[in-house]
Amino acid sequence: MTSNDASTATKDIQIDPRGYRFGASVTLVISIIALILGANPAGIIAMAVLALLFLPGATVGPQKTVQSWFFRKAIRPRIGPPAETESFRPPRFAQQMGLGFSLLAVLFGVLEIALGFYIFTGFVVVASFLNSVFGFCLGCEIYLLLKRATTRAA
Amino acid sequence: MLVRLIGLALLLGIAALGYRWWQGRQGMVRRVERPGALGVATLGEQPGKAATFVQFSTPICAKCPPTAVLLKRVAGERADVKHIEIDAAERLDVARELNIMRTPTILVLDSDGVVVARMDGAPSEAQVREALAAVPPPNEYSI
Repeated sequence: MTSNDASTATKDIQIDPRGYRFGASVTLVISIIALILGANPAGIIAMAVLALLFLPGATVGPQKTVQSWFFRKAIRPRIGPPAETESFRPPRFAQQMGLGFSLLAVLFGVLEIALGFYIFTGFVVVASFLNSVFGFCLGCEIYLLLKRATTRAA
Repeated sequence: MLVRLIGLALLLGIAALGYRWWQGRQGMVRRVERPGALGVATLGEQPGKAATFVQFSTPICAKCPPTAVLLKRVAGERADVKHIEIDAAERLDVARELNIMRTPTILVLDSDGVVVARMDGAPSEAQVREALAAVPPPNEYSI
């Protein structure tokens, strides 16, 4: 059934939810650093690094990020296998949103529009804060609204 | 620097408060009065004889699979109660008509397929049972 056609792209992958929560805490730390550094070259570089870290998660999936590699190598051996797994789709969507927002923050920073830099860095801070601290998936709440807003009624 | 630190603290504080407010509403059972019944055309299959949980999900929804497991278990306790899951992202027409804003959202239908209650956001088991208890018993004399 699952050969090298489109069906592989839609195949679900179950991942350890603690892994991407750890990834969200990495995101939180970097985006807070960027927010405190401010709309200057140092802050822009921090957001550019964050965008790079989001890239594999946004394109392939959250199981392919540097953060998840570190989690598998250094953290999971200490805390054991997960009690339950989750689909990789919600966190991949979250990584895509994160990538988009951090790229916009970098863009506004480079254009020297400080307000834009702070707004989009702020979005990343809030989303990663809710995910890492409360395990709340902001993208899950937004997805249907986005779909409703962008798809015209038949 | 100080202004940015204060701004950060405010941002996180507001986010935490907003989260608590949002979570408090999650799964809350609300009585609904909506004329008209949902049939096979909307649901894709026959509704249950006494009651039906109609769960709206999307692929981007961490809480949807565990909610489906919970509803299937509660519905499975009775032969006349059914659980039907609909992909809201695929059936946007239905989602718009029934005002589905977040997933999972569960509509509870009575024996005639009329919506009598809804839960927006993942419910607890107690909330699921409360919603089921809100369904009036089947009317013996209905045609």
